[in-house]
Amino acid sequence: MQELVLIQPGRAAEKEFAQEAAQAAFRREFEERLAECGPLAYRVARGVLRNNADAEDVAQEALLRAYRRFARLRDRGRFRAWLVRIAFRLAIDRVRSSKRREVRETLWSETWPRPSTEDLAAASEFQAHLDRAMEELAEKHRLVLLLGAMEGHSLEEVAEMLSLPVGTVKSRMFFARKQLAEKLRCHVKTIEKR
Amino acid sequence: MPCKNYREALIEAAAKDSAPSRELRLHLDACASCREAFREERQLFAAIDSGLRVTANAEVPASLLSRVRAELNQRHVPQRSWLPAGASMAAAVALVAVVVFVRGLGRDTVPINAFVNSLARQVSPAEIQPDPRVGAAIEATSPSAKNRTVWAAKSAPVARAKEVATLVPAGEKQAMDALLAGVRQGQVKADVLLAENSEKALEDLQISPLAISPIAMKPLADIGAESPASPNEKPMR
Repeated sequence: MQELVLIQPGRAAEKEFAQEAAQAAFRREFEERLAECGPLAYRVARGVLRNNADAEDVAQEALLRAYRRFARLRDRGRFRAWLVRIAFRLAIDRVRSSKRREVRETLWSETWPRPSTEDLAAASEFQAHLDRAMEELAEKHRLVLLLGAMEGHSLEEVAEMLSLPVGTVKSRMFFARKQLAEKLRCHVKTIEKR
Repeated sequence: MPCKNYREALIEAAAKDSAPSRELRLHLDACASCREAFREERQLFAAIDSGLRVTANAEVPASLLSRVRAELNQRHVPQRSWLPAGASMAAAVALVAVVVFVRGLGRDTVPINAFVNSLARQVSPAEIQPDPRVGAAIEATSPSAKNRTVWAAKSAPVARAKEVATLVPAGEKQAMDALLAGVRQGQVKADVLLAENSEKALEDLQISPLAISPIAMKPLADIGAESPASPNEKPMR
């Protein structure tokens, strides 16, 4: 009886080559998105965290997470919106974990991040009050305010990024600004009286 | 109308950053304190917007993108295994055990003829297409190849279902490889893989009857007379 073996000449090499080419194309595409949207991720994180180092960490994590899941994103045109959500969510999570840590630790603990002298010098008193008031806003209002305040973002772009009707974005922005004004009105008067 | 009735309208106009309504404008013209309140409200919202812009447009550190790129590059570089040498050895032993087990299983359950017959049934000449993946070949090899065939069939069911397998004698493998390479590169048309007269029914194989000539039996006496026995040989009884 004749005995046989099944062989597949050249198939493995072809497959490997195709895989490498696909991976290179994938990486190139992501690099383009990275250059375009990297700053956006940082600014969203910075708007929530108000700390440069933390914002950079969160933006990096958001971009790496986006890379890992990039292949699963069906509509690549939605990358910006998708990245904004990832960065915002990660930043909010970091704020929450910091708050939990704050409760656990004593106020004089050295591990709690304190604003640097640079930050203190740069931030005006009003800015500090504003940042605090922002923290008290609902997440949906905060994100709309942040994106709307970023240079080059129209209401329509913010609406598209958040997959919301323009009217909803407008009303959220209006409501959020009014809330901020209510919280800050007393501070403005105090500062002006000095 | 008292000033407090205009309070909300005044704030809304400032918040929307729009011109006040006609009614509010008339009141502002007449009331200095409301005019002052309106000015303060507009200042407040302008300060909020300015503060928001500062927060939202922070300068992006130059290190961010390079950090991300470095991290991505690091992930592509194959990293040294964290497994200790003992674990690698154990994994290798386990792999060998699995291979031996599967080979034993294949010997008991899937005879080679069954596999070849199933392969033949799945692939008909009409299914042969000039596909670059066409290239599976079967060649005659050593006895251990039987088990390798079973192993390949078990581990690559897709290949078994979709690819055309070719039976070639060991000596013709090189020629077949060259032909398949030609098909893949488009230099040779895949039609050559089809039988030239596929419509023509195969003729019955003619087997000539086995001829066995009768064996001539000669008496022992005649044999003894023809060849004299040697002096040391004992006589037969």
